[in-house]
Amino acid sequence: MDGHKPENLRELLGRFFDAGQVESCLDDFQEAERLLRDHPAPEPDDMLIANIKAEIAMRLPAVRVETFRRRLWEMAGIAAAVAVLALVGVRLSQSPSRQTGYYASLIPTAIWESTNITSDDADLALFTTEIEQIKDEMLGLESGRDAGDGEGSVAELEMELIQISSDFWKG
Amino acid sequence: MVQGDDLARIIAGCKSGDAQCFSRVVDMYSSRCYGYFYRSTGNKDISDELLSELFVKLVEKIGSYKGGSFESWLFRIASNIFHDHLRSKQRRRKLLETRQEQAESEITEPRQSDGELVDRLQSQIGRLDKETRELIMLRYYSQLSFKEIAHMRSEPIGTTLAKMHRGLKKLRLLMEG
Repeated sequence: MDGHKPENLRELLGRFFDAGQVESCLDDFQEAERLLRDHPAPEPDDMLIANIKAEIAMRLPAVRVETFRRRLWEMAGIAAAVAVLALVGVRLSQSPSRQTGYYASLIPTAIWESTNITSDDADLALFTTEIEQIKDEMLGLESGRDAGDGEGSVAELEMELIQISSDFWKG
Repeated sequence: MVQGDDLARIIAGCKSGDAQCFSRVVDMYSSRCYGYFYRSTGNKDISDELLSELFVKLVEKIGSYKGGSFESWLFRIASNIFHDHLRSKQRRRKLLETRQEQAESEITEPRQSDGELVDRLQSQIGRLDKETRELIMLRYYSQLSFKEIAHMRSEPIGTTLAKMHRGLKKLRLLMEG
């Protein structure tokens, strides 16, 4: 039997052994090949081969069914994966409008689309008006236009500011 | 010897469940696989069983063959079957020991069937350790390269070469002695 896969045995052995060992190895390898060639193993009986072939023929239908079933499962798996991907794709394509709706539900549409929030939001408009009013009063006090008790007015303004701030953060 | 394209066609036929193609594979490889089993076990009856098991496994596993060297794939299965056989024999031996039966001789190697003559080479091969014996037979009957054998055995190629050299040297000495 000399049909070994092509390989340069000398070069291969040379990677692991020194020159003397390589020659000894090659010699042993060749001698072993000769021994095995000169003492061939018995051949399998014809009856055994016939039985093996009969056994294979008997098992093939079951193997074919199994192969078919496996292919079916593989195809089912692929179909399921495609269906899931398609579903995800459809959902993703619909998602932008849904996201707009979601944000719009948190923030009123009028404010979301407004160019001037302080006028379009009732609460903010109220706070803005009060702040403007307090600002005027502060300016009046600073310029000495206020006729009343100066300290009392400032304290009153501060109280109003605190109240507004508190209301604002409460929402 | 069937070459490349023909072998590929035969294997494709096996994959599609063609009995004729399986039959050709049996014709092509039964002799070498049988030689491997026989020289590794030293027993004709066991070799018959292992060869049958190999081709039954081939039918079951042909779908998992994804290309590459078919011989390497086939002899990997053969090697696994042989090692499974060794393991089951080990279990049987332990069982027999615990029962203290005198059936030990039934499973010592080399074993000869009734009327079977064990050739001189076989009796000397039987004196090698199992691993070395199997390695030598795998190399000779599978005709795989050392690289493929080392890969199959999951060991460095240098280890495979060293084991092979030690084994062959010993076998040579035994045969000359």
